[in-house]
Amino acid sequence: MKADRAIVVCSVLLAAVYFYAIEQIPSREIGDPLGAKAIPRILGVFLLLSAGLLMLEMRLARKNGQVTEDGGAPEDGRHYLVVGTVVILTLLYFAVFERLGYAVATSIYLNGLMAFFNRGRWKANILTSTLFSFGSYILFTKLFGAQLAPGILPF
Amino acid sequence: METLGHILNGFSVCLQPMNLWYTFVGVLIGTIVGILPGIGPAASIALLIPMTFGMDPTSGLIMMAGIYYGTKYGGSATAILIRTPGEASSVMTSLDGYEMARNGRAGAALAVAAIGSFLAGTIGVLALTLFALPLSAVALKFGPAEYFCLMLFALTSVAALAGKSPAKGMLATVLGLMIATIGIDLQSGQQRFTAGIAELQDGVGFIVVVVGMFALAEVFRGLEQLYRGTAPEAMRIVGKLWLTRTEWQRSVGPIWRGGVIGFIVGVLPGAGGTIASLLSYATEKRLSKHPEEFGKGAIEGVAGPEAANNSDTAGAMVPLLTLGVPGGGATAVIMGAFIMHGIQPGPLLFQNRPDLVWGLIDSMYIGNIMLLILNLPLIGLFVRLLYIPSGILYPLIIAISVIGTYAINGSMFELYLILFFGVAGYLFDKVQIPVAPLVLSLVLAGIMEQSFRQALTISDGNLSTFVNSGISATLVTMSILSIAVPFVLPKFKWRKKSAV
Repeated sequence: MKADRAIVVCSVLLAAVYFYAIEQIPSREIGDPLGAKAIPRILGVFLLLSAGLLMLEMRLARKNGQVTEDGGAPEDGRHYLVVGTVVILTLLYFAVFERLGYAVATSIYLNGLMAFFNRGRWKANILTSTLFSFGSYILFTKLFGAQLAPGILPF
Repeated sequence: METLGHILNGFSVCLQPMNLWYTFVGVLIGTIVGILPGIGPAASIALLIPMTFGMDPTSGLIMMAGIYYGTKYGGSATAILIRTPGEASSVMTSLDGYEMARNGRAGAALAVAAIGSFLAGTIGVLALTLFALPLSAVALKFGPAEYFCLMLFALTSVAALAGKSPAKGMLATVLGLMIATIGIDLQSGQQRFTAGIAELQDGVGFIVVVVGMFALAEVFRGLEQLYRGTAPEAMRIVGKLWLTRTEWQRSVGPIWRGGVIGFIVGVLPGAGGTIASLLSYATEKRLSKHPEEFGKGAIEGVAGPEAANNSDTAGAMVPLLTLGVPGGGATAVIMGAFIMHGIQPGPLLFQNRPDLVWGLIDSMYIGNIMLLILNLPLIGLFVRLLYIPSGILYPLIIAISVIGTYAINGSMFELYLILFFGVAGYLFDKVQIPVAPLVLSLVLAGIMEQSFRQALTISDGNLSTFVNSGISATLVTMSILSIAVPFVLPKFKWRKKSAV
C-alpha cells in the first residue's frame, strides 16, 4: 500500500514535469491540425487518470479488507545495497568501456562481479571472464563484423 | 486451394539449407534461453536482432520466431526440475511437474512436456495456417481510424491483464507511449523531449528498453536472490525419458484440449501463455476423475498446461502477422525486428511478401520437429545448463546485453540507457508494475500516433471518426470495457455479498 501511494505521488510529479516539457515544444501546426503537442497532452491526462485509477483500486481494496500495510518484520535492506553496488560497478565499467576497450574492460568487470557472487572459485572466475571477454570480442568483431570498442587492444 | 499453394511455396522457402540452419539455431537458442534463468524470449530476441542485420530478412525472422517458441520448450525443464518456471507461462507446469520429479518421474514429466508441446505446437501452427489468410483479407478493410481503435484495444487489454492491478498496467502502457514521444516528431519535424541531447533525436530504441527492462532487471533480481541465498537448487533427472502406457493414455486428452485452448487464448491480445496454461490446468482438474491428485504430481497437470503454453505462441502470431498488432511483450519485440528489417507486419504483408510470411509460418512446423528431437533425447544434456553457477551466469548476461546494445550503433549513451531501464525494471518489479504493457505500447506508439493523426486529418479533425464504423465503435467499446470491468465487477460482487 505504501508503494502504491509512492507510485501515485511519482505519477503526479511526472505528469507535472511532462506538461511543463510539452509547453517547451514550439507550436508549428501548419499542415497538421493536431501538431506535435496533441498526443503528449493526451498522454499526460492519461497518466493522471492512471494515478486516479490506482487510488480507486487502493480505496476498493481497503473497503474489501484486502489491505496489506507493508507491515511485519522490517526487511534487511542489505540486498538493495548489493544491487546498488552492482549498478555503480556497471557505471564504472561503462565509464572506462571505450578507453580500455570492450575485451579488457569486460574482463575486469566480470572478474569483479564473479569474485563477489561466485566466491572461492577464483580460477574458474578468471578463466571464464577472460575467455568470454576475449572470445566474444573476436567472435563478434571478426566473424559477425559487429563494432565493439577496441580500446587499448591493437586489433 | 490458394492457401495450399502458399503453404507449398512457404515450404520451398523454409526448406532452403540456410533457412533450415537458422530455424535450428533459433530453436536451439530458444531451448537454452528457456532453460537458463535471467534472460527471457523478449530480451534474447532483442539482443540477437543486431546479428540479423546482415542476414536475409526471412532467415532473420525465422530465427527470431524459433527463439520465441523454443523458449516454451526449455521453460518446462526449469519448472519441472527446480520448480522455477523459466517463463511465467510455465508456472502451472511447476505445480505437478515438480511433484512428479520428487516422486521419481522427472523423466516422464519432461517427456510429456516435450511431446505435448510438439503436438499442441503443431495444432497451433495448423490453425495459424488456416486462419491467417481470411483474417488478413478482413484486415485489408481497416482504415486509419479502425487501426487506431484496434491498437487501443490491444493496449487496454494487455494493460488490464498483464498484472494484478489494471491501474498499474495502464500506467505502464502510458509510460511506454510517453517514452515513444521522445525524439523528432515525424509529421511536424519538431523535436520533443530531447532536452538538447543529440542521441535522443532518433528516440529511445525499443531494444534499449527491452534489454534493460527484461535482461538487466532480471539479472538484478537474480543477484539479489543469490545474495539472499534463495536461488533454487536443481533436481537430478530420475527415471526413463518416456511415458508408461497409462501415463500416455492420461495425457492424450489434455494435450488436444490444451492445444485448442492455447491457440484461442493466444489470438486474444494480452492474455498470453500464462492465462492459457492456467485455463488448461483448471479445465483438466475439472474434467479429471482424480482431481485430488492435482498439485501432487498428476500428469494431466503437466500435459495440458504445456500444450496450451506452446499452442499459444502460434495463436499469438495470428494478430501479429495478419493485423500488425502484437498481443504481448515477446511478439512486440518480434514486431520490432520486422520493422528494423524494413518490413511492416499486417495484411499487406500477405500480398507483398508471401514468401516471407509463409516461409515463416511453415518454418514453425519444421522448428517443432527439431524441438521434439532436441528436447527428448538431448534434454539431459541441456539441463546441465541448470548447474552453471548463477554467480557466473548473471554477470555474463550483463556482458551479452552490452554486446547486443553497443553493436547496433556503437553508442555509449545507449549503454547508460539500458542501465537506467534495468534499474527501472527492477524497481517496477518491486512495486508490481508490469513491464510487458510498456514494451508493447513503445512498439505500437509510432503507428498508433500516425493512424490517429491520419484519421483526424481525413475527417477534418472530427473525433466521431473513431466511432463511425461498426468495427471501430466495437473496438472502442471493448477497450473501455477491458479497463472498466476490473473496477466495476468487484464492486458488483461486493454488493451482492452484502445483500446476502
